[in-house]
Amino acid sequence: MSKPLVILDHLRTGYFSETVLSDVNLEIYPDDFIGIIGPNGGGKTTLIKAILGLLPLFAGSVSFPTGKPKTGYLPQATQIDKSFPITVKELVASGLPSKSKWFHHLSANQKEKINHMINDAGLSGVTSKPIGELSGGQLQKALLCRALIDKPNLLILDEPNTHVDKHFEKELYTWLKALNSEMAILLVSHDIGTISPLVKTIACVNGTLHYHPSNQLSEEILKVYNCPVDVIAHGPVPHRVLKVHDHD
Amino acid sequence: MTEYLSIFEYQFFRHAIAAAILTSILAAMVGTYIVSRKIVFIGGGITHASFGGIGMAYFFGLNPFAGAALFGILTAVGIEWVSQKGRVREDSAIAILWSLGMALGIIFVFMTPGYTPNLMGFLFGNILSVGRAELQLLIIFCILIILLFTVYYRPVLYTAFDPEFARIKGIPVARYRYLMSVVMALAIVISIRTVGIILVLSVFTIPQITAMLFTRNFARIIPLAALWGISGSVIGLMASYTLDIPSGAAIIFFLTLQYLTVRLIIGLRNIIRRKTF
Repeated sequence: MSKPLVILDHLRTGYFSETVLSDVNLEIYPDDFIGIIGPNGGGKTTLIKAILGLLPLFAGSVSFPTGKPKTGYLPQATQIDKSFPITVKELVASGLPSKSKWFHHLSANQKEKINHMINDAGLSGVTSKPIGELSGGQLQKALLCRALIDKPNLLILDEPNTHVDKHFEKELYTWLKALNSEMAILLVSHDIGTISPLVKTIACVNGTLHYHPSNQLSEEILKVYNCPVDVIAHGPVPHRVLKVHDHD
Repeated sequence: MTEYLSIFEYQFFRHAIAAAILTSILAAMVGTYIVSRKIVFIGGGITHASFGGIGMAYFFGLNPFAGAALFGILTAVGIEWVSQKGRVREDSAIAILWSLGMALGIIFVFMTPGYTPNLMGFLFGNILSVGRAELQLLIIFCILIILLFTVYYRPVLYTAFDPEFARIKGIPVARYRYLMSVVMALAIVISIRTVGIILVLSVFTIPQITAMLFTRNFARIIPLAALWGISGSVIGLMASYTLDIPSGAAIIFFLTLQYLTVRLIIGLRNIIRRKTF
């Protein structure tokens, strides 16, 4: 078995001096596809931000046994200021590091990479448009391009399926399935019913983290950890029906 | 017409026009950053707090501009510090520094014996008295800011748009935010000479929102805002001479008039287009 990319060891974290998550243990391996579920305010986004190094650690540690992984991040749609005057091209470019420390301009090679990525995502018609003129799905695609442009080995997505139509959602899941062969994926969702067939394992977050080394939506997850799980999906969305538990 | 042009024979008027153009260019860059980040209120805090520095400088017989710059920078950096630490609400901190600066300014001006020259100039601006040294300062600062926005365009834009993502990408976000705070403070204080404390914020916002009626691309807003700024302030200056009204107020009036006219024209064009198709 390969070494984990990230190890969270008895982690306690939160905002300013307020603890949101405590005693969190998790190992993320290079081929993982972890679905993170839990109630609102349970600490899903806090967990992600702690992994990304955006929050102070009150106790425990976040370590990277194979060196700090290149991370792609797709924040929640509500965190993006859609009225900010930035174009799709500039947005995607912000995912690339600067080649030189002093002169922060893009190389010809990087510019080509950006154009290629935008074309692949089917956004070539809106390259020079400001993000405020995009549809919900287009914006998520552009943000995903920004997350993927630097070829990460860990991709973290915070509720990518909100504010988008079912068509985009289906497209997104097809992409993620393909991407998982190249990178570990952490997917936060309140809508586990639709992501269940994709994720390999589930982490339930509510003040702490309970890891389930399978993707079955067991009664345990639904009841014991009190997660608001929406198992109703309309339209041609991949789904599975789980067998009835043997015990009561 | 020749009467209008004869005004250019006076050095003070040529200086005033140069100051209006340079202030417009400076405000176009820094103002686009302020408007894009939606931190106009921080600009208000810096502007008014700087009055404390002016008052103190009068009292101790120092250079009022240096006093204003010191108070402006301390306020801008203080607000950024509060917003990063998050212990006090940012808007409350702005309100405190805003009124504290004004209060200190009033107290020190009151305590200063005798007449305080140029005080009205700081409050309402006096572009017609801009001297060679002030113009040189404006030119140097303009060049520095143009260099900053050219060389560091990407990190300045990214840290303004999505600081968390910029941090993940290894950009030293806090360093850029503090740098931009100092830049904002200095740009505002330098521009106070042109339009005064009370009106300065409009030079940093009205040309930008006029430009944003045409484009929503950060890099394109800057030159367009500079053009709208230059045209509004030059027309304002000419009007102030012709009608014998205060220059700062005339500049703001014409900047606003430009904005409303453009908005109206775009609105009418959209109505006509909708009816045609």
